[in-house]
Amino acid sequence: MDALVVVANPNPASYGHALAAAAADGLGAAGHTVTLLDLYADRFVAAMTAAERHAYHTSEPILDPQVAASAELVQRCEILVFVYPTWWSGLPAILKGWLERVMVPGVGVRFRPNGRVAPGLPHVRRIVGISTYGSPRAYVAGVNDNGRRTLTRALRMSCGWRARPLWLGLYKMDARTDADRAAFLTRVRDRMARL
Amino acid sequence: MNVLVVYCHPDPGSFVHAVLERALAGLAVGDHTVRLTDLYADGFEPTMSPTERATHADPGVGPELQRYADDLAWAEALVFVYPTWWGGLPAMLKGWIDRVWVAGVAWELPEGSAVLRPLLTDVRRIVAVTTHGSPKRINVLEGEGGKRTLFRSIRLMCSRRTRTTWVAMYGVDTASPADRTTYLGRVERVLRRL
Repeated sequence: MDALVVVANPNPASYGHALAAAAADGLGAAGHTVTLLDLYADRFVAAMTAAERHAYHTSEPILDPQVAASAELVQRCEILVFVYPTWWSGLPAILKGWLERVMVPGVGVRFRPNGRVAPGLPHVRRIVGISTYGSPRAYVAGVNDNGRRTLTRALRMSCGWRARPLWLGLYKMDARTDADRAAFLTRVRDRMARL
Repeated sequence: MNVLVVYCHPDPGSFVHAVLERALAGLAVGDHTVRLTDLYADGFEPTMSPTERATHADPGVGPELQRYADDLAWAEALVFVYPTWWGGLPAMLKGWIDRVWVAGVAWELPEGSAVLRPLLTDVRRIVAVTTHGSPKRINVLEGEGGKRTLFRSIRLMCSRRTRTTWVAMYGVDTASPADRTTYLGRVERVLRRL
């Protein structure tokens, strides 16, 4: 299958980038064709513009070639993998903005004549989230993992319920040893190789 | 009270802008001092930079963000006016939280502690005024991430006795003009009673 790995991390030498590389490695080992999309490296613009907001319900909601390129990717890839640090229980702004600007009508959603929303990406089979958290797992459960909800509920509705979510998280990052981090990299690679 | 209104929408002709106007009208009736942050009008950059990320343990913000940090230190009530997109806060508003709610502004990590200590303890009211394209049941299914982000994660940086109010309109995509008018009236009434 075609797999898209979206990484949202400001530092190109980050652990998050290592995780994305491990995920790509694993997916490649499983025989999938992998495209890596590095939002910071591409200088992806997070905020939807007024012009894009006006165009949202027209037949041409995409105005930016960078957004069109991402739209083409999600319309082709059956595996969507998101690698990001959880900030304030949610997605970093750049990744939230990518969802908002890319998953527009005609891509992420289709509007039926009665105004109801239908999935725009029914070909997607897996939604994978790989995230690091400052907080312990219990705290994340208490405040709710809203980034995970955005990807495994909201985005999943765009893909239809046949898209199965998979979550891989590393919690309490500040307390993690090098051995912990290496072990999680291995776990990510191995799990993707079995996808 | 010192009320900080944080507004997030790219289009000044939008329904959400009309919502903002009614919120401000309601606040004007009370004995408040109001400061407005219009993120899009400010040209706010929502994306945290590599340098900001690398220095995120250091207290404070860069000079271009200082006024946002000062407004938070001044505020006793936070009123958010924004459209809910994909079940949560728009990227622009999330970016304001990512970049401004930092060490030395919203929280600090005392020496030897693993638990954040909240710094915005003068804030005792959080009001979220937000529109949703989809019906309520879809948003409930999605887990209402925006509500939880504001009323849990953000609230934890404020006074322990912070009261929260959710003033939401659902199903805007299929709403009638009468529905919108009703909501605008409700927004103004709620803010009048802040």
